[in-house]
Amino acid sequence: MTSSDAAPIDLERMTEQLLKEIERTTKSSDMAARIATNRIRVAVGQTPKEQIWALNKMRLYHYYPQVPPEQRKPVPILLVFALINRPYIFDLRPGNSFVEFLLQHGYEVYLLDWGRPGLEDAHYDFEDYSLKFLPRAIRAMQRHSGKREFSMLGWCIGATIVTIYAAMRPDDGLRNLILLTAPLDFSDKEGSTFSRWLNTEYYNVDELVRQFGNVPAAVIEYGNKMLKPVENYIGTYLKLWDNLDNPAVVEAWLAMNTWVTDNVDFPGAAFRQWVVEFFRENRLMENRLMMEGRVVDVANIRANLLNVIADKDHIVPNCQSRSIMDRVGSKDKKLIELKGGHIGIMVGSGASKRAWPLMEAWLSERST
Amino acid sequence: MTQPPNGFDPNDPIGTWRAWRDASLEAWAKSLTAMVNTETFSQAIGAQLDALLAISGPVQQAVQQYMERYLAQAQLPSRNEVVTLAERLTNIEFRLDDMQAQLDELTDLVRKLAVAQTPTAVDVGVIDERLRGIEEQLTALAAVRPSGRTRKATTEDKE
Repeated sequence: MTSSDAAPIDLERMTEQLLKEIERTTKSSDMAARIATNRIRVAVGQTPKEQIWALNKMRLYHYYPQVPPEQRKPVPILLVFALINRPYIFDLRPGNSFVEFLLQHGYEVYLLDWGRPGLEDAHYDFEDYSLKFLPRAIRAMQRHSGKREFSMLGWCIGATIVTIYAAMRPDDGLRNLILLTAPLDFSDKEGSTFSRWLNTEYYNVDELVRQFGNVPAAVIEYGNKMLKPVENYIGTYLKLWDNLDNPAVVEAWLAMNTWVTDNVDFPGAAFRQWVVEFFRENRLMENRLMMEGRVVDVANIRANLLNVIADKDHIVPNCQSRSIMDRVGSKDKKLIELKGGHIGIMVGSGASKRAWPLMEAWLSERST
Repeated sequence: MTQPPNGFDPNDPIGTWRAWRDASLEAWAKSLTAMVNTETFSQAIGAQLDALLAISGPVQQAVQQYMERYLAQAQLPSRNEVVTLAERLTNIEFRLDDMQAQLDELTDLVRKLAVAQTPTAVDVGVIDERLRGIEEQLTALAAVRPSGRTRKATTEDKE
């Protein structure tokens, strides 16, 4: 830059900018104080629903339809989230809710909440979640809806659970399967930071589970945040600070922060299996994962399959989700890569314009 | 006012500071994200975990032993006893859930059977039609019977 390119110093404008910033900071300080002292809260998971089934800590919810009966789709859909976070991410806030979107398009929507495991649940593993609990929830949904055929959407570890179910129970009425950022193939040991951390002999998973029973939510949260430490420990708060004078942004931030910090303990046996049998030994994709005395073979999956991956997913990199496309037995299968991160593709500002309509269009054609 | 070159505006010190801050953070984020994805950091994570477990193990054991003694003296159930009780309750819940499902299936079957045994409007219509046919045949028979008798009587008379 040459001196002739530089803008001239304008003291009046400089003072004006400074005053504007002081005014903004004064207004923001009040909001910051309210947030810091927990005097401002944002309600999440607000779409009206009824609990139709409960077993141990698990709950199955049915959302009240929002369109007349003649406009409703005949195939209900079950939403399944991961074990380590709360499922209301599907229904974060009015106007930013995938559940609300599906209801408005005529779907009968059911949501499975795994609940918060206690010490008495520490021995449950993926076989229990996929083949003991999930089928019972599905049975309750089929009973409630009066329909045998159904669609199912699994997200993150929830996608792993529904994949196992689809492979082991291909004749139980599953018509459409949607996998969202599904961690399934762990063959690429350099592919993700989690793989690096968990694949080493330094990570003493057995002792962790032995001492704690369930892996504390704080440990899981720490691991997730350390994947991108600057963004998670500094960047997110700076983003809030810069927008404290914008109520809409503050509200959205608070809702997301409520969910991000609302973690759940990872059931001990499931965590051990996750680290050893999935991350380290990649048993699912190598046809060595045994459940109910049989191999879990994804080739048995016959349901129509939509596999949605996010191009900037740092938690479940694409290499963990793609390869299932060549392995499933489904004749009707499709892979979609969307712009966004692991969670951002479904709750970010663009979700209602990109991910939701794409999934709904695919599902709609197969829900008649 | 014209846009300053390279986004730098000497008259907006806050904006300039913010731009510098964001650029610095981005650089930090990139280098730290790369750092956590190294073998050395993996070892550090493992060492952190080992340190946590080395401290928490003896502490947990001591607290557990003390609490078990204290609860036993106070004639209160220990954590293990409560966990065992919770496991038993969960097993009962599972059985109840399965029984509920079986009951639902039985109720469905009974309903289907009941529906199968109750004549429907269609069944009644078919029966009505068949009865009408029989009635018509009887009427036709009744109409031809007197002449038959006459013929028979005549034959018998002749014999």
